[in-house]
Amino acid sequence: MSRKLTSVLLAMLILAGAMSLKTVVAAQNNGAVMMANGGAPVPPPMANGGAPVPPPMMANGGAPVPPPMMANGGAPVPPPSAQ
Amino acid sequence: MPGSLGYAIWVLATLLEVAVVVCAIKRRSFSRYLCLNLYMFFSFVISLLRFQFLSHFGLRSSEYKYCYYYSDAVLTIFLYLALITLYLNVFDEMKVEKYVRLVAVLLLAGTALFSYGVVQQSSNKMLTGFVYELSQNLYFVGLVLTYVLWGAILKLRETRAQLIQLVLSLGVYFSAFAATFALENMFPSFQFFTYIPPVFGCLLPLAWAYAFWKLTPDARIAPARLAVVPH
Repeated sequence: MSRKLTSVLLAMLILAGAMSLKTVVAAQNNGAVMMANGGAPVPPPMANGGAPVPPPMMANGGAPVPPPMMANGGAPVPPPSAQ
Repeated sequence: MPGSLGYAIWVLATLLEVAVVVCAIKRRSFSRYLCLNLYMFFSFVISLLRFQFLSHFGLRSSEYKYCYYYSDAVLTIFLYLALITLYLNVFDEMKVEKYVRLVAVLLLAGTALFSYGVVQQSSNKMLTGFVYELSQNLYFVGLVLTYVLWGAILKLRETRAQLIQLVLSLGVYFSAFAATFALENMFPSFQFFTYIPPVFGCLLPLAWAYAFWKLTPDARIAPARLAVVPH
């Protein structure tokens, strides 16, 4: 039992150490991306971190998707009237 | 698009990744360091995939970005597993494999949870943000784990030359990336840093290929205290 607890403690210590190290290293983060696997050219980072922007959810146009549920009941939202 | 130097380094790194797997198979070390060799093999496959995406869609396309960042997360997890394989090899005589695996699973789960926590607070791009954050955090976990492993090797007076070569080259690799990352943040105007990660992407497979080709699994290095000749 104590060995298992030691394992948990060790995992937590390593995680805390790694995240602290990351905080120190990236203290002056200007959007640089750290990618280490292979020699492929790193694509330019996006404004919000390095993650690329996901594609729009709907196929037709990029308008924001309305919330799926209405406040009163769960009936589907009707399409806007033609007029 | 990368210049000719960038392409040359990339091709060299890809060839060296194949060389690691070939050397390991030739020297019958493939199964001994299974995850490490799988990492090199998938790194080679993903290099080909990235080249396809880059040539078809271009460096700034969303397709290439998705391909790059998602494949990077997969490779980072393989690199983490490769590191755990090295741990299992170092501690194989102590019969603590169960605990090493427990720590590895807990650490991976903890890193994933931490990454999720960061992404949940700061981004609405949940999956892509999570993949990117997990990849970045696993680098630093790998860095710390490599130092801990090196400490264990010194403490246990490990003398297997091949194992030491593999661990040391991985330690240099992680440290170089962390240092480059820090310097890139401090001096963002220096374009010189963009070439450093691909160069180290060549040096790691070169060092591993050397370890598999030149050093037998049973080769031992003489500890310094034994090498001293008394007067």
